[in-house]
Amino acid sequence: MLFGYIGNLALFLSLIFNVFLIFSSIKTIKNNNHINLKKINFLNNSVFYLLLISFLILIYCFTTSDFSNVAVYKNSHTEKPLIYKISGAWGNHEGSMVLFILILSFFSFIFFRSKVSEQLRFYTIFFQAILISIFLIFLILTSNPFDQIDPKPLQGLGLNPILQDPLLAIHPPFLYFGYVGFSLVFSFTLAGLVTNSFDKSWSQYANFWIILPWSLLTIGIGLGSFWAYYELGWGGYWFWDPVENASLMPWLSATALIHSNIVTLKKDKLHSWTALLAIFTFIMSLLGTFLVRSGILNSVHAFANDPYRGVYILSMILLITFFSLAIFIIKNPKKTLNQEHFFLQKDNFILLNNYFLIFFLSVVLVGTVYPIILDAVSGRSISVGPVYYHTILAPFLFIFLFFMSHGPLLSWNKQDKFLQLKNIKIFLPISVVTSLIIIFWFFDQKDITLILGLLLSIYLIISVIFDLISQKALKLNFGRLTSHLGFGILIFSIFINAYLSKEINTSMKVGDEIKIEEFTIKFSSINKNKKDNYEEVFGNFLVSNKDEKVELSPSIRKYNQPAQITSEVSIKSNFIADYYFAINLSEFEKDKIMVRFYFKPLMFWIWFSILLIALGGFYQSLRFKNEPKI
Amino acid sequence: MNQKYKIVILGATTVIIFILFLKAINTDKVYQPNQMVNKKIPEIILEDFNNKNSKIDQNIFSQKDFVLINIWASWCVPCLIEHPFLMSLKNKNKIDIIGINYKDENTNAQNFLKKYGNPYSRIGVDKKGEVTIQLGAYGVPETYVLKKGLIIFKHIGPINEDIVNKILELKK
Repeated sequence: MLFGYIGNLALFLSLIFNVFLIFSSIKTIKNNNHINLKKINFLNNSVFYLLLISFLILIYCFTTSDFSNVAVYKNSHTEKPLIYKISGAWGNHEGSMVLFILILSFFSFIFFRSKVSEQLRFYTIFFQAILISIFLIFLILTSNPFDQIDPKPLQGLGLNPILQDPLLAIHPPFLYFGYVGFSLVFSFTLAGLVTNSFDKSWSQYANFWIILPWSLLTIGIGLGSFWAYYELGWGGYWFWDPVENASLMPWLSATALIHSNIVTLKKDKLHSWTALLAIFTFIMSLLGTFLVRSGILNSVHAFANDPYRGVYILSMILLITFFSLAIFIIKNPKKTLNQEHFFLQKDNFILLNNYFLIFFLSVVLVGTVYPIILDAVSGRSISVGPVYYHTILAPFLFIFLFFMSHGPLLSWNKQDKFLQLKNIKIFLPISVVTSLIIIFWFFDQKDITLILGLLLSIYLIISVIFDLISQKALKLNFGRLTSHLGFGILIFSIFINAYLSKEINTSMKVGDEIKIEEFTIKFSSINKNKKDNYEEVFGNFLVSNKDEKVELSPSIRKYNQPAQITSEVSIKSNFIADYYFAINLSEFEKDKIMVRFYFKPLMFWIWFSILLIALGGFYQSLRFKNEPKI
Repeated sequence: MNQKYKIVILGATTVIIFILFLKAINTDKVYQPNQMVNKKIPEIILEDFNNKNSKIDQNIFSQKDFVLINIWASWCVPCLIEHPFLMSLKNKNKIDIIGINYKDENTNAQNFLKKYGNPYSRIGVDKKGEVTIQLGAYGVPETYVLKKGLIIFKHIGPINEDIVNKILELKK
């Protein structure tokens, strides 16, 4: 009870300090006073520490199961393991908004310690403080995490079992650090625009603040996908679900931003475009927040209805969008220099890559938002599924891969035709031969999409390897090479996986042995196990094909609080493939259980390549951080 | 193009997006269980709140001329906001309200009613939240207005002055 009040107080105080920071900054700007960074620093720190205190108190309420707190009551239970009590703190709407704001403030907090000029720092913190205030007001008005229930309930409702997973405890923080992290580069851009200092030096500092959140977001998306793969038991890792798309959109936009910012840095051009992308990336993050948080997509029944919440989020996101774009229009940095222009030059390829990424983004954006709007306007519901995305994206992905293979090998300043032709002569035969071997060896069907997918992803991988070998400045390019290699492996694995995956659905009883295609499945035994918060029934299966023999023990868990049944998959993974098994209770045949078996090739490489992409980003951000600035 | 025009266009676009999404938020969702208005109440069976061994079924709704179904829970903060309205509907307007206690602990719910008053003539218990799904509800609170077993109006979220007036209008 008492702690709840302190937490609430800390939230209010942080809002007051924040508003004070904003007004004192406005006064400084208006009167053209000398910038008092000491004061700003004090206020900025206070806001951060206060938010940290309220977040820690919320965690404390969760760990001590203080059910007088509504959020705790709805999402926790005394018999839950400690780790899920803690992660329960951000596994719900209110708590996750506190984390959201804390991260906004955290970025402001560490940014103050960077070596950016006083003026830029002042304005960045100013814009960041506006963002923090907007979200704090939202939190306090519509989703206060310290709301009390009176009389105090004796027991909580429990955390959704599907969320009781160690990965899910760390997945939201990564995702948040990623897409809330883009707020800093957003504020930094606005600061650069209003002070007319959107230039090479800006771009040099911005690099770190773009790539760091981008890498964290990459990990966050990867973890989410990994969780969906082994927890949901549908045998897939990406479903083009609106919530997944919500995290992919800022990622695509930020990827475009990383590249355009390099052009701004190296050639002192594309300023406008870079600034626009920086603003847009954060808007995409906000859109994601809106889609997930407003209830516009909601299919979950276990929440209390509050229609005002959605309207508030919508209003604040559109206000942020309007004002940031208005600043962009008024202060548009038109600085394109007249330089000699060659078509086959690195910056043109980067620009092309940007167009493609924006196209991918538009496809995802339309696929996610259009059904919602259509339903609202005409009452018709359509479902946009994988077919839409795959058909539209695939052909452009192939061209994208080709440009991606050649772009980095071009020079910044001169026409580079000859070198490219030489490269094609090396890459093309190797990739054609390799992909043909793979196709004839493993595949019965000869699908053109498959052939092009394999050919071009191998093409990219070879170009990266070639680049790696002939690289004179390895340290400088190591991050980029790692990420690009990761991307090549990712696309390659996705194609192989999509075309070679197998799925078997049937029902079996103990002792049964069935043979479908090249797999023999034997249901050998069943056993039970009782844990603190659930009961578990295991089925033991033996799956074999001509090269492999694996034992798998999927299970069904019956949770006590809340009473829910989940299906736990059993996966045996190696470098070549995953053997993935899930069981469900059968409604019709009482003595049998439903079994689903999936053969999923190259899953290991999908996760590994996502890690590579992120690691490349981390490496690059560290390098940018330590790089001497202009 | 002039800066002013650009900003006007930006502003107009923002407003259009706002209106579209606002409409989307207020639209019944694609995934929603059931659009129930103007339909007969489906077959439901609930455990009686005060007596574990007795059951409540849809017949008690269809027998009455005018009745409200209110889905509530002791943990639900918006329910507390609408509670005084329910109390006044019962005491002032003599409207029959049947409660469905949603995903709740019996003792918590009893305490809630003891403290704030009981507006319900009868209460059914939906511990797992399964019955409310059949009713096409998203969660708590939600209120249904029934005339002779036909759902004529449904409100999502806490009721307020306007909704109370609407309900009284419907009763006429």
